[in-house]
Amino acid sequence: MNVLTCADDFGSMMTCIYEAYACRLGHRSIRLELEPILQPELFCQYRQVDFDEKKAAAVIRSIQEKISWEAWQLVYRAAMSWQPHRLDCIYRFLLLGFHFGASVTDMLQHPAVSGLFALSRNVMNEAHYFREFIRFSSAKEKFLVSHIEPKCNILTLVAPHFSDRMPSEYWMIIDDTRNIAAVQPADEPFYLTSVTEEEMLRLKQAEKEDGITVLWKEFFHSISISQRASARRQRTMLPVWYRRHMPEFHE
Amino acid sequence: MITVKKEQSLQEKLHILADAAKYDVACTSSGSDRRGKTGFLGNAAAAGICHSFSGDGRCISLLKILYSNECIYDCRYCVSRRSNDRPRATFTPVEICRLTMEFYRRNYIEGLFLSSGVCQSPEYTMEKIYETVRLLRTRFHFNGYIHVKAIPNAPEELLTLTGFLVDRMSINMELPTEESLKKLAPHKSFRSIFQPMKQIAGGIMTSRLSSGKSPTLDRHRSNQYLSGSIFNRKALEDSTVSPSDAPRGFDLSLKKEQTPFIPAGQSTQMIIGAAPENDFLLLQTAQTLYRRFDLKRVFYSAYIPVNEDPMLPPPDTAVPLLREHRLYQADWLLRFYGFQAEELLSPDRPNFNPLLDPKCDWALRHLEHFPIEINQAPFETLMRVPGIGSKSALRIVNARRFGALDFTHLKKIGVVLKRAKYFITCSGAMMYRIPMEEKFITRQLTGEEYQANWDISHPQTYHQMTLFETGGFSV
Repeated sequence: MNVLTCADDFGSMMTCIYEAYACRLGHRSIRLELEPILQPELFCQYRQVDFDEKKAAAVIRSIQEKISWEAWQLVYRAAMSWQPHRLDCIYRFLLLGFHFGASVTDMLQHPAVSGLFALSRNVMNEAHYFREFIRFSSAKEKFLVSHIEPKCNILTLVAPHFSDRMPSEYWMIIDDTRNIAAVQPADEPFYLTSVTEEEMLRLKQAEKEDGITVLWKEFFHSISISQRASARRQRTMLPVWYRRHMPEFHE
Repeated sequence: MITVKKEQSLQEKLHILADAAKYDVACTSSGSDRRGKTGFLGNAAAAGICHSFSGDGRCISLLKILYSNECIYDCRYCVSRRSNDRPRATFTPVEICRLTMEFYRRNYIEGLFLSSGVCQSPEYTMEKIYETVRLLRTRFHFNGYIHVKAIPNAPEELLTLTGFLVDRMSINMELPTEESLKKLAPHKSFRSIFQPMKQIAGGIMTSRLSSGKSPTLDRHRSNQYLSGSIFNRKALEDSTVSPSDAPRGFDLSLKKEQTPFIPAGQSTQMIIGAAPENDFLLLQTAQTLYRRFDLKRVFYSAYIPVNEDPMLPPPDTAVPLLREHRLYQADWLLRFYGFQAEELLSPDRPNFNPLLDPKCDWALRHLEHFPIEINQAPFETLMRVPGIGSKSALRIVNARRFGALDFTHLKKIGVVLKRAKYFITCSGAMMYRIPMEEKFITRQLTGEEYQANWDISHPQTYHQMTLFETGGFSV
């Protein structure tokens, strides 16, 4: 078995898929894995693939042109998942996709397709939850800051929503687990950037208690009907791990 | 009425007026799809977005507040009625705008839901609501979702002006019969509810036609494949609304305004359990409203005893949560699954089965249609199988063109096999050896649903597990 490994970012994953096709070892004897490899297997040859912009772009272009835009979206979303086997899933899906063309996205009876479909669905569900539950706080009345700690890397999936919604506000969404941020200056397009420790500290000083939070908590508690109270239903709709950065659940 | 006035802080007002608004159920932000604009704040998503869930598990999507709870009316079921001794407050339009903007920027809410007690007079209250909405749209540049309540007996011109600024407008029907209305809400009458409802429907129709859309609201896409749907063309022939019903001043405004009139449609709300109406009557009323006035949604609100009154159920009555849940399930069957009220209930069986959901109940009474073959059945038939929804039915129809589906595929597609397995075959075989006997399947299904039903009707109590649990009911 030949194992191709690559770094955990989207460009490297696409390069890795390019290499898997280019090395011509036969699809059955190839497996794709993401680094770090914690437990190497016996009788496997490991080969590391580095990011190459041209190769990644070639893969992305052929997915969009030879399969379909829908398949491309499915692949991109699945790549944002936290599951370690996602790269191999994408590879198996693309093998089928390049054979069948656009209709592949409907073939849910095939394990490669349903596997990718499940990953993508999971990512989109989480992204939708964050679209709902992201909370901004106003720092120095100048810009809005939000911290999230998602399982999947959903930053690029939620940022366009807020960019459309608040085009004339200065806002940033910071992914605390991955140290990346989406930043949008007022009336400009948003961009992605990595955040250093020092910048984090500076931000923390700027973010102080937001006066509006008190009013929001007041509203949140007043709107609940005590005769219908049901923590279980609340937990079903709003799982506890999403509440970490939501002010209404903090004392 | 004697009122003791004292300066209230914004937080106190918010407490009083959110508390008074909480019994209104409609808190959806759906139906409008609007992109953001530079210089403005907000957009709207067709599916609606919930932003939080309160302690009762209900969604918080909109900033749901009353403009004022200083009401001059005395409706028996209402907390804010004149004869109740409660703290009273009134916002100013600017306060509401500030709150909405600041909450919206922080992604707390999806927009504003503004209702009000009738303060001084219907004209005055509606004028204040209009003023608030106009400020919000023009001075504060708010582009998000706005839902307002139309105040009964307010002038038509105000209705028109407000309609061009908001996404949704609603008039609460509260009770489905004239006599209960007379008994419990003496200031309201069928006329004062249906008249504005018809005007709004006429306005929406005119506005849609003038922008080149179909006269009726867009419904879920699965409805076009369902011949029995309450929204299909034949059913809409009994619509009584025509463009000439539009409220006064509409034609003048239509030329001036660039925005559509109430793009997300109108909705209404009915109270469950305050008067003796049965489920059949409620569901039929809802169906008639969908057909006649092209309503987007009908909401059902389990009656919560807040007032002591000889006309009303006693204050210790349990909140009919399971009944409310069943009505919502049936409402979904009407709007998405092509069912009609007469199929689900009849004058002989006017109430829903508390042990089974309406779709399972229907399927058990029509076992002659089952089991159906997943790989061949038309879309319409798939939608009638318990455990299959519109998403999974569409996926099945798409996937089976490329090969036969079996039960493991169905599970991955999202079919709830727990319920569906009694009613389907894959390539001619059922999942297990299942006798097609009504009693057997009923027993199986009620056994599985027992816990879920208990949880809905007893939200706060705990359930003691026993070794000998049978459920304690007979079928």
